[in-house]
Amino acid sequence: MENSTYKVYEDEIQLLEEEIKLLAEKYDDVKQESTFYSNEEILTSIKLFQREFQGESKGQECPSDLKAQLESLEREISFLMKFTGIQFTSHSKKTLEKNENRTVQKHRLSGNCRSLPFQLEFQLLETRDKENVSAVITDLSIVMESGEYSDLSKFVSSTEEHGNLLLFFRSLSSYAEWYEHRRCTFLHFKAKYPDIVALPEGQLGDYIILRNPKLSGFELMIVWKIHIDEEGRTTPVLDLLTKVPEQVLEQKMGPIENAPTCFRSMLLLFGIETTIENLIKVTGLEK
Amino acid sequence: MEERKAYSRDGVLAHLEMLEAQAHELALKQEEKEQQEEKLAGLKARVQELRARRDELRAKLELQQKRLLEKGGAETHPEQPSARAVLEWKIKSVKALLQLFYLTGISGKLTKRGVCFCISTAYEGTYLESYYLDVLTKPEVQIQRHSVPIFIPLEQIAKKYLQTDIRRFLSVLSDHLNAYAARRYQADQLQERFSDRLEGTLQRNSLCNLLVFHYNVPSDGRSFLFTARLLYADPCCSLPTEAIISCTPDAPAALAEVAAAHSDAFRRAALHKAFDSFSKAEETQDEALISPPGSP
Repeated sequence: MENSTYKVYEDEIQLLEEEIKLLAEKYDDVKQESTFYSNEEILTSIKLFQREFQGESKGQECPSDLKAQLESLEREISFLMKFTGIQFTSHSKKTLEKNENRTVQKHRLSGNCRSLPFQLEFQLLETRDKENVSAVITDLSIVMESGEYSDLSKFVSSTEEHGNLLLFFRSLSSYAEWYEHRRCTFLHFKAKYPDIVALPEGQLGDYIILRNPKLSGFELMIVWKIHIDEEGRTTPVLDLLTKVPEQVLEQKMGPIENAPTCFRSMLLLFGIETTIENLIKVTGLEK
Repeated sequence: MEERKAYSRDGVLAHLEMLEAQAHELALKQEEKEQQEEKLAGLKARVQELRARRDELRAKLELQQKRLLEKGGAETHPEQPSARAVLEWKIKSVKALLQLFYLTGISGKLTKRGVCFCISTAYEGTYLESYYLDVLTKPEVQIQRHSVPIFIPLEQIAKKYLQTDIRRFLSVLSDHLNAYAARRYQADQLQERFSDRLEGTLQRNSLCNLLVFHYNVPSDGRSFLFTARLLYADPCCSLPTEAIISCTPDAPAALAEVAAAHSDAFRRAALHKAFDSFSKAEETQDEALISPPGSP
C-alpha cells in the first residue's frame, strides 16, 4: 500500500517537473522571439561587458567567454554564408507550439542568394522521437522580385505548392550562379568590343545585340535564357536571332537561315564564350 | 533439583531471547515506519514546492503575454537590459540562424583542420536523412570521414571535383543523395500507404533505382495482378526512365491499355502519387458504372 501512495506523489512530481521545464522554456522563447537588438546595441554591449569585468578579472573566465562565444558563432555563420552564397539578412521566429516531442515554429527569413534577393515565410514542424528529429515544412510562401526573374516564377509557385524549401535553395543557388555567369560574360564582351556589342537591357538583361558599326541594318541578337524546370534543374538556353536588311536576305537566304542551327552546333562544340566571341569577330569583319 | 534449575534457566533465557527479538523487530518496524513517514512528508513537500514554482511560472507567462499584447507584439526593453543579457540574446539569435542553415541543403561546422559539411536531403516539405563529410583542408583537400552510403559514387565525384571546385563537388553529391533519398521515400510511401494494393513484398536494390513489385488492378469486378519493373537509369533523377508493366496471361486484352497508361504515369509522377491517381481513376470508373452519365 505504501508503494502505491509513493507512486501517486512521484508521478505528480514528474509531471510537475516536465510542466515547469516547458513553462520556463516557453517564457525564454517568448522573451527571445519578441526582443530585438540592433547591431549598434550589440556592439555597445560588447564594449560595456568588457569594461564591466575589467576590474574583476582576477582569473575569471567569464568576461571574454561570452564575447568569444559570439565571435566564434559569427565566424561560423559568416563562413557558411560566404561558402554557399546564401546570405540571410533578417530572421524572426515565433514558437507556436512546444511540448516534449513536437515543436512548431513560424519563421520569416529574408536574404539573398548571390545577387538574387528572396523573402520566405514558413512553418517548421519538428518531431522528436528516441533518436531522430524529423522536420517538415508547411505553409511555405516565397517572394522574389518578379519581372526580372520571370524564368523563375513558374518554378517558385510549384515549389511553394509542395513546400519544397530545400529544392528552392538548391535550385536558386544554381540559377544564381548562371545568372552571375551570364552577367559577367555580357559585361566582359561589352568591355572588350564596345563598338560591336550592345546591352539594350543592361547587364542584367537576357540578350545582347551585335552589330557592325559600318553595316547598318544588320544585327545579331543572342538570347541567353536560364531555364529552370519544376524539378529545379537549371539549363542555359541560347538562341541566335538575325536581323537582316531585305536586299541581303534575297541574296543570302541560305547562310542566314542556317545561322541559328550553326549557332547551336557551335555552342555544343565550343561552349558559350567561344561561340559568342566568334560571332562578335564575324560581325566585326569588313564585308 | 539441578535439572529443574537448568530447565528453567534455559526457559528464561529463551524467553529473554524471544523478548529481545521482539523488541528488536518492533524497533525495526518503528524505524521503517518513521522512514516511510519521512519519505512521504518529503514527497509532499516536494510536490508543494513544485506546484508553487509552476504557479509562479504560469503567472510570469501570463504577465508576459499581457505586456506583449499591450505593446503590440514586441518587447521594447521595459527595464534597461544588461550588457550580458543583450549578448546572450545575440548568441541565441545567431545559434538559431545557424540551426536553420540545414534547411538550405548544405551546412557545416568549422573544425580544427577543416570543415565538417552536412548535406541535407528532403522530399518536398519533409526533410530526410542528413549526410556528413569531414573534410580536411591541409595539406590538401581530402575527406577524412563521411557517412555517405557505399552505393553512392563518392570517390568518382570527389576525383572529378573535390580538388578544383569543392562547391561543385558538394552540389553534385547533393544531387545524387537527394535523388536517392527521394526514390527511397517514394518506395517507402508506396509500401506504407498502398500495402492493400501490393501483393508480396516490394523488391528494391540499395540504391533504390530498380524496383519490382506486384499490384492489383480492379476491372469489371475482378482483380488482376500487374507486375511493375521500374528502372531509374539517371542516378540524379527521382523518376524512372523505364517502367515496364505486365499483366498476367489470363488478363483481358483491354487491360493492355491500362498497363500502358500506368507505365506512362509512373514515368511522369512520383510513385505514390501515380498510385493516388490510379485510385482516383478507378473510383470514377466505379462511379460511372454505378450511375452512368446521363442517368438520373
